[in-house]
Amino acid sequence: MGLFETAAAKALASSGVFLFMTVLLIAAAKRTSTCIALFSVQSLVIAAQIVAVSRMHHLPEGFAIAALVLIVKVITIPYALHRIVEELKVPRDVSSSTSPSQSVFIAAGLILLSFFAVRPYAGVLGGDQAMLAASVALVLTGGFLMISRKKALMQVVGLLVLDNGIFLAALTTTFGMPLVIEIGIVFDLLMGVFLMGLFVFRIRDTFNHVDVSKLRRLRG
Amino acid sequence: MTLAINVVQVLLLLLLAPLVRGVIARLKARIQNRHGASVWRPYADLLKLFRKEDLVPDSASFVFRLAPIVVFAATLVAAAFVPLLYGSALLQAMGDFILLVYLLALGRFFLMLGAMDGGSSFGGMGASREALVSTLAEAPFLLALMSVAIAAHTGSISGMVQWTLGQNFFQFSAVHALAFVALALVAIAETGRMPVDNPTTHLELTMIHEAMVLEYSGPSLALIEWASAIKLTVIMALLIALFFPWGAASSLSVLAIAIGSLALLLKMATLVLVLALVESSVAKLRMYLVPDFLGVASALAILAVVFTALMR
Amino acid sequence: MLLLLPLFIPLAGALFVFSCRQPRIVVRAALTTGALELAAIGITVHRIHSQGVLNAGQYLRADGLTSFFLINLGLISALVLVYSSAYLRHVPEGRFSSLRWFYGLVFVFLFTMVAVFLSANLGMMWIFVEATTLASALLVGFYNTEGAIEAGWKYLIVCTVGIAFALFGTITLYLAAVKSGVSPQSALDWSTLMAAAPRLVGARELLKLAFVFVAVGYGTKVGFVPMHSWLPDAHAEAPSPISALLSAVLLNCAMYAILRFDAITSRAIGSGFGHTLLLIFGGVSLAVASLLMIVQRDLKRLLAYSSIEHMGIVAIGIGLGGALGFYGALLHTFNHSIAKTFLFFTAGNVQGNFGTLRMERIRGMASTLPWTGGALIMGGLAISGMPPFGLFVSELVILAGAFSTAHYFIAVLMLAGISIVFGALLYHFQHMLMGTPEDVRTRPALRASEITVMSVCALCLVVLGVHIPAAFAAILRGAMTVLRP
Repeated sequence: MGLFETAAAKALASSGVFLFMTVLLIAAAKRTSTCIALFSVQSLVIAAQIVAVSRMHHLPEGFAIAALVLIVKVITIPYALHRIVEELKVPRDVSSSTSPSQSVFIAAGLILLSFFAVRPYAGVLGGDQAMLAASVALVLTGGFLMISRKKALMQVVGLLVLDNGIFLAALTTTFGMPLVIEIGIVFDLLMGVFLMGLFVFRIRDTFNHVDVSKLRRLRG
Repeated sequence: MTLAINVVQVLLLLLLAPLVRGVIARLKARIQNRHGASVWRPYADLLKLFRKEDLVPDSASFVFRLAPIVVFAATLVAAAFVPLLYGSALLQAMGDFILLVYLLALGRFFLMLGAMDGGSSFGGMGASREALVSTLAEAPFLLALMSVAIAAHTGSISGMVQWTLGQNFFQFSAVHALAFVALALVAIAETGRMPVDNPTTHLELTMIHEAMVLEYSGPSLALIEWASAIKLTVIMALLIALFFPWGAASSLSVLAIAIGSLALLLKMATLVLVLALVESSVAKLRMYLVPDFLGVASALAILAVVFTALMR
Repeated sequence: MLLLLPLFIPLAGALFVFSCRQPRIVVRAALTTGALELAAIGITVHRIHSQGVLNAGQYLRADGLTSFFLINLGLISALVLVYSSAYLRHVPEGRFSSLRWFYGLVFVFLFTMVAVFLSANLGMMWIFVEATTLASALLVGFYNTEGAIEAGWKYLIVCTVGIAFALFGTITLYLAAVKSGVSPQSALDWSTLMAAAPRLVGARELLKLAFVFVAVGYGTKVGFVPMHSWLPDAHAEAPSPISALLSAVLLNCAMYAILRFDAITSRAIGSGFGHTLLLIFGGVSLAVASLLMIVQRDLKRLLAYSSIEHMGIVAIGIGLGGALGFYGALLHTFNHSIAKTFLFFTAGNVQGNFGTLRMERIRGMASTLPWTGGALIMGGLAISGMPPFGLFVSELVILAGAFSTAHYFIAVLMLAGISIVFGALLYHFQHMLMGTPEDVRTRPALRASEITVMSVCALCLVVLGVHIPAAFAAILRGAMTVLRP
């Protein structure tokens, strides 16, 4: 095991830390573009993990999956979202229903919750406990973002974070699924983001705002 | 020999503090496309102030004259706790991180008293704002340091530094990362830098620290300014020592000390650059947003402490 | 090879429609494609029943269950296409709203649903269920009104979140299989998993976890009650033919996914846990939906809640298990889809004539629109489970299943729910049929295509209520054999 291997193994062990940091920072962020950038960083960490895991377990498919994640989730989707934010021409703040420090406290609480949730399953599911907790934390934070942020685009970002969490959970427990399935999943996500972007523009054109908390015509 | 090193460390902090301030100001000017004053300007300011006369308001009591001395003394003693070159500090046997935090707090407390004693309304305003900021900053400051202390099983700062030196470079611990971010946020609040306070503003209504020293002049002002510079350098040195101590001398040989000095120089330079960049790119927070800012720091610090139990 | 036909005909149709410029050709192409698709499905079903399981490569597979649901899809899609050709006479021109886009998207939608039914691999199935959400979102927002866009957005977001949870469930099942010794390459293949199911007993906790997530995830698409918030909006705001497709085929598609998972789980760890969960979801959906139907004010929203209620009944049927439960549940999916299609077509006519779907403004249909009014009565009776319509039979079978397995509480709940629904529908429809109409204007006559389509629906309903044809019964039995080998 050369220096690269040891470095990769140790970096793998501490990438959970980076993910927790992104969770907290995304909760505290005040602008949509900050959130998108943080999502990009998260996906980069996950892609790095895939590379490290593939190297350690000698899975050649893993590199293809990592490249896919890199191209789609780190570059394409954030770029598309940034372009949407620019074209939308609406105020770029996040329109949260909780203040940044409240959000960070809630995010910290969610991280703790995820640790406690993962504890009984750690033996059964296998995988590193911190990583599993990170994936559950990502799912919970994604959900929290979707609920507390009123901008439509922020709901999309929350969805992407949630999906990242599930992807990470798959990674830590199974070291990836067959390549075709992974490609299909990522492609689905890409199409989903594309469609959601389309819808955000339609919302803006019809309602003149992108505040989903005001979309309450249909009730009961 | 250790004693000599420790004394040199304190002297370095004392004498180089104005230089750090000058470099930050020059870097900010450069980033903002101005020429900026020379990096040695703070020294010239201090010399000028020491030669001038001390003007005291009629209504002021002895507190007004005592405050600058207490501030300077407290900050200097606090400086004696922080290891710079070698993993030890002059007063390391006398106290731990709690003493450090409260020495700095003592200085701040007397500054607030002196400001209120000066009788001007801006002094009172500055003191009340400073009280808000310092109350909220105290908890994350203590908690972040406490998390590192729990992880290192020791309360003394030099002990913490030596423990971090023994850690593995590639394995970032969650505790350290969280504590670092929390402390960085607190550092901004404690030293009165952007985005919490603008040290170069001339508009009294936007001042926090500057408003408290409006009434001071002459040597008193010199002492306060110097103490403020020392506080900035101390907190920066604390951040470096606790979170990036690699390169510090592990033995007392000349070579190790030389390498340690070079490493310190590099790390200080980086931190100064980062601070200048951050200050130039963010706008000052409005006062009602400062609790949010420090709330984020508190959440991170609490999480850091909880993680010491979870990641064991 | 044959399996590729029903898969690619809609896709080819979509491509052709997208490249077409003239509306007339578009409609004709759509109808032709629909007919071809129906034929392809017919041939496939026939082949399945003469040859047994059909396989095409590693990822496509068709067995008895597939054939049952394919017939459902083929029939409803043909009816919908014929009805659309008349209904969409006036399409609001918008960015994605034109005849081309409508038919193109419908065909893409059909392609994704056929792909779900033909998937051999659970991962593939997931990919295409998510694709159905994406394909139908634009169809839901077709009219570009405020309500339509809000409904489309909610649909997209809620269903994508739900499906993400289903992905987690799928992964957990994959993990359980790999841990129990199944080779990773085929640990997502349904037939491999069914064969290896006895070996999965060791991963009991994992299987339970997987089923919970799958039930919640795919249950969001089916419309189970805490996750149903998108359903009334989407089914109400979409154009009526699309509402029919959504209620009649898409909900069944999601139920199909749950059935596949349930088969594996029951085989591995017994059906206690999974079926209890489905009974809870079904019962809650039934209760909540039937109560909410009383206070509805919009006709299509009323029908959407009725869909939730019937999906609850199907879930109860599956949850009861046994021959009666499964038979009733499968038959009910088919009957419900025909009845719901019939009702949505009627609602489309009502909207075309009255210009609104708010039930308080619709009055006097008995005097001014006798045929549509009659259709409404017939549909209402059918959907509330009256004889001689098909839903009576399937609900009776499920009730018999409940009584025979001593689930008395469920049986009583179901009876109460059905009664409440009957009362609600009677109340609402009676208001619409009686009274004097508010404004008298010249009503456009029903077109031949609409009449044909609705007659076919009515005929199927009556036939299935009186005597199930032998061929259909054979297909149903084939589907049962897959679920209970």
